[in-house]
Amino acid sequence: MDLKNTLAELESKLTEALKQTEKLEKLQDIKAEYLGKKAELSLLMRHMKDLSAEERPVFGQTINAAKARFTELIELRREALEAQQLEARLHAEKIDVTLPGPNFRLGRPHVLNRIIMEIEDLFIGMGYTIKEGPEIESDEYNFEKLNLPKDHPARDMQDSFFITEDRLLRTHTSPVQVRTMLEQGGSQPVKIICPGKVYRRDEDDATHSHQFMQIEGLVVDTDTTMADLKGTLLTVARAMFGEHRNIRLRPSYFPFTEPSVEVDVTCFKCNGNGCGMCKHTGYIEILGAGMVNDFVLSASGYDPSIYQGFAFGMGVERIAMLKYGIDDIRHFYTNDIRFLKQFST
Amino acid sequence: MNISLKWLKELIPYTVTPEKLGSLFTIHSQEVDSVEKLVDAEGLVIGYVQTCQPHPHANSLSVCKVDVGDAVLNIVCGAPNVAADQTVIVALPGARLPGGLKIEKTVIRDEASAGMICSLSELGIDYKYHHEDGIHVVRDALKPGTDALAALHLDDHVLSLDLTPNRADLLSMHGVAYDVAAMLDRPLELPNVSVEATGDQAVTIKTETPRCHSYYGRVLKSIVIKPSPQFMQARLIAAGIRPINNVVDITNYVMLETGQPLHAFDYDALNSDTIVVREAQAGETFVTLDDKTRTLHAGDILITNGREPVALGGVMGGADTEVTSETTSLLLEAAVFDAITVGKTSRRLDLRSESSLRFERKVDPEKTVYALDRATALFMEYAEAELVGDKGYFDHTASTDAPITLSLEKINSVLGGNYSAEHVDSILNRLHLPFSRNHHTYDIQPVSRRQDLITYQDIIEEIGRISGYDQLPNTLPNTVAQGGLSLKQNLRRRIRQALTGLGLDEAVTYSLQQEAHIERFSFNHETPIKVADPMTDLHAALIHTPLTGLYDVAKHNAARRQYDVNIFELGTCYTQAGEVERLGLLMTGSYHPYRWQRTPQTDFYTLKGVIEALLDGLGLPAPTYQPIEHNDLHPHQAASLLLEGEQIGFLGKVHPKMTSEDHLSDVYVAEIDVETLLKMSPEHATYKPLQKYPSVERDLALVCERSLPAETVLEAIKAQGGSQLVHLDVFDVYMGEHLSDDQKSLGLRLLFENPEKTLESKTVDTLIEKIVEHLHKTYGITRR
Repeated sequence: MDLKNTLAELESKLTEALKQTEKLEKLQDIKAEYLGKKAELSLLMRHMKDLSAEERPVFGQTINAAKARFTELIELRREALEAQQLEARLHAEKIDVTLPGPNFRLGRPHVLNRIIMEIEDLFIGMGYTIKEGPEIESDEYNFEKLNLPKDHPARDMQDSFFITEDRLLRTHTSPVQVRTMLEQGGSQPVKIICPGKVYRRDEDDATHSHQFMQIEGLVVDTDTTMADLKGTLLTVARAMFGEHRNIRLRPSYFPFTEPSVEVDVTCFKCNGNGCGMCKHTGYIEILGAGMVNDFVLSASGYDPSIYQGFAFGMGVERIAMLKYGIDDIRHFYTNDIRFLKQFST
Repeated sequence: MNISLKWLKELIPYTVTPEKLGSLFTIHSQEVDSVEKLVDAEGLVIGYVQTCQPHPHANSLSVCKVDVGDAVLNIVCGAPNVAADQTVIVALPGARLPGGLKIEKTVIRDEASAGMICSLSELGIDYKYHHEDGIHVVRDALKPGTDALAALHLDDHVLSLDLTPNRADLLSMHGVAYDVAAMLDRPLELPNVSVEATGDQAVTIKTETPRCHSYYGRVLKSIVIKPSPQFMQARLIAAGIRPINNVVDITNYVMLETGQPLHAFDYDALNSDTIVVREAQAGETFVTLDDKTRTLHAGDILITNGREPVALGGVMGGADTEVTSETTSLLLEAAVFDAITVGKTSRRLDLRSESSLRFERKVDPEKTVYALDRATALFMEYAEAELVGDKGYFDHTASTDAPITLSLEKINSVLGGNYSAEHVDSILNRLHLPFSRNHHTYDIQPVSRRQDLITYQDIIEEIGRISGYDQLPNTLPNTVAQGGLSLKQNLRRRIRQALTGLGLDEAVTYSLQQEAHIERFSFNHETPIKVADPMTDLHAALIHTPLTGLYDVAKHNAARRQYDVNIFELGTCYTQAGEVERLGLLMTGSYHPYRWQRTPQTDFYTLKGVIEALLDGLGLPAPTYQPIEHNDLHPHQAASLLLEGEQIGFLGKVHPKMTSEDHLSDVYVAEIDVETLLKMSPEHATYKPLQKYPSVERDLALVCERSLPAETVLEAIKAQGGSQLVHLDVFDVYMGEHLSDDQKSLGLRLLFENPEKTLESKTVDTLIEKIVEHLHKTYGITRR
């Protein structure tokens, strides 16, 4: 029989066998059947000895070419089957990518503490130290050293929770200023801010709370000016409410400062054009401030003929309410999870 | 204080608009609450009711013919008091009334009606100022067709000032005029007053108390009580005071004008030519003109007729000497009473009045005689008063103080401005403050109308505010200092960062809580600190632990169907020994809940895991635990938390009795002392070189008594394992089949390392055998 025909017949048998094979494992058997020692192709080699010296190389080359061809056919089929198998596995692994993942979430710092931290960081950047003090204060530190003697009408403005005749829950963080100045001994400059909880006898409602947070600032040195106060507060207003804000200072009254001012920021809703939020004035009141009253400097051990200073105080709840448009001060203290979760880090 | 701008314009002729004046006031003086028209209406004229007939088809209506100058209108009116021959206010067709109401020609029950006859309430004047139920009948026969608001002096604006307590001067029109004069740099035109005394019927004034600084009295006779003139009524209404009659109105008017409160006694009822001012005795009673019997304290100021009290000085007159419609003669009082005494008396008796407010904030003693004379002149003009003698008085008011010395340099150094002497001169002149200047040194004479100007700082404020603070540059302090957080402040932030990173939300709760709740979750059993006079029982005592508030937060949220609550609070706690800071944690529901896969409910170990992650993150060693008991905690799921043997807090499940009463599912709480954490936190982390040689891992399954705490087993293994045992963990706990009821199996994973060489399997096997043998000998533990 003609070798070519034999090989062609073998190849078509192999092709058919591969076609019928759907399993990878069976390829091994096919390989043995067509390329193994006992395979027909191997048996054909035995005819080599019957051939002439001229015919042998041609015969050998033909057989070897067929071997390579058969190997290639098997490998091609292997690749195809492997690809099929992978495809099947991947298909089996199909998931609904639109289903949600587990509810991992970052917790939130309380919005009041968040504002405090923001303001602290701003002032740390300007070289201020953060000072704290006790919430249960003496009448002397909370009032008397701040130029609020026993009969002063302004005590009404901050009606307080007394514990004994002489001890009370502080009505502002100003006693921390007094404590710091006394600590510094009347000769070192002071540059501090004092955040903390304060308490006043207000009925709790949407805009009043018997407990709230305050941040006060104090700078005392030989050359501290009202212009410095203005520049500092402009920095705060812009950091808290946006860089295009402006502020205005208007006269007010606090027993511990003279001159005293209220500070308004240009309305961040209408940019100062007038809207419901700023009651059509273009401005929103954000804090009280002034130059430290000589009485307070003296009472805290600083010689007012050498030292002068500025002080300011703001309500943290007010800042938060303005900044985020929060409509009820009680939300800060009832801690509804739906409220807490809104203030992302 | 409400300011009639028509009145103000008489005292200080200004040209700016009411709105501009309002904004100037806000920037240079005091906060303006509002600038509004006294009557915000258009199209009102004076009308004369020619005829008034009952409406043919409606009993309660009348049909009037009203002369409005250029026409006679048919107007249907519903007011019962309308009648022919009345002068009235007519809203013509096209008129606009307050609240946007438009008046149009209309037909009412078949009768044409071209306009409306108005009541004062319809003009937006509150009922409390007039007490009129029907239409307003104008007293004077004004010409029909004239502008009604102008004719009735109601064409006015009201500037409403929110005064700070130091600016007593702005409780008078004069004071406001002075401030406006300074702001606008315009001359003042205050009315001059002179009263010629005739007759010789004088009163004698005596005092027995230093609490009355001065007292002037004058007798006025043949008084005719009647309504005060329209302009005065309109101005009183603008100021927020109800017109009564000419006598009361004049005293109020002069008080508004000058800031000096006046009081008028019925001279006949007074029945004496002598006034004696003295202090009340404790328990003395007095009937004030509201017919209430007041019990007095020692020191209250009493005005007497020499026999019995007739007024409570500066606070309220007496019922017996009240001016009535029968009154024909007056004793007019203008006095200065001690501010603190009037304040105390009026607060105690809850009798705060326009008069007590002014005394409390200090009146200008130099205005007393002016006010008496001004009122006298007005009584003569509007009450037909007859002067029958000169004023009686005593006056102990101190003369003005020494000048305030201040240098230009100080002004500029405090304000941070660069004002010239000429500028400061001009501001002081505009403020009418007398001064002298020697080069750059000012001597400023205090004035009695500005009793708030005492120190040089007060003067600097005047210069700053009248110049305008917008004139100052924006600078930053020259003071250079190192800013930063203290270790404690820093720790607080790290705790906050760690816990929010772990998914917990931060809460802030009230420091004042119900007294009965203070012992909740507290191991501090001392008496809580209470406020002396709480506003409510809900906020009466200071907390010992943040958990008091956090538990209520869980309740609040559960009531709103928010069941997964994982929160913490860094809060001050208040003990008899002082304030301490504690960290409270509360977890309930699920933690990091899966949505559609199985979600584990938070348990004791969840909270423990959070705490251990926190401590680990802060660089602290692993804590140990000891069972503890507390009434509010589960008796078998509560432990104290120890760090290197020192107790730093506790954790536990809230007692199921408490949570079921509060309709809560399982709640887990923990408290950690922040001060101790601070003490124990390392300043910085320590570095250990990474292990070079491979480590060997072994698992060990041990069977032990169920009651034996895992920690005991772990500690024993650590002790036996020595330094080569670098990690030990529980990976399985099993109880049930194949074990007896009092047994449990612990699956442990041990990791061995040697920093110097590769560990041989044999070495580890020997260590394991040693550990197992020790556990067996000591605790009867066997390998499974």
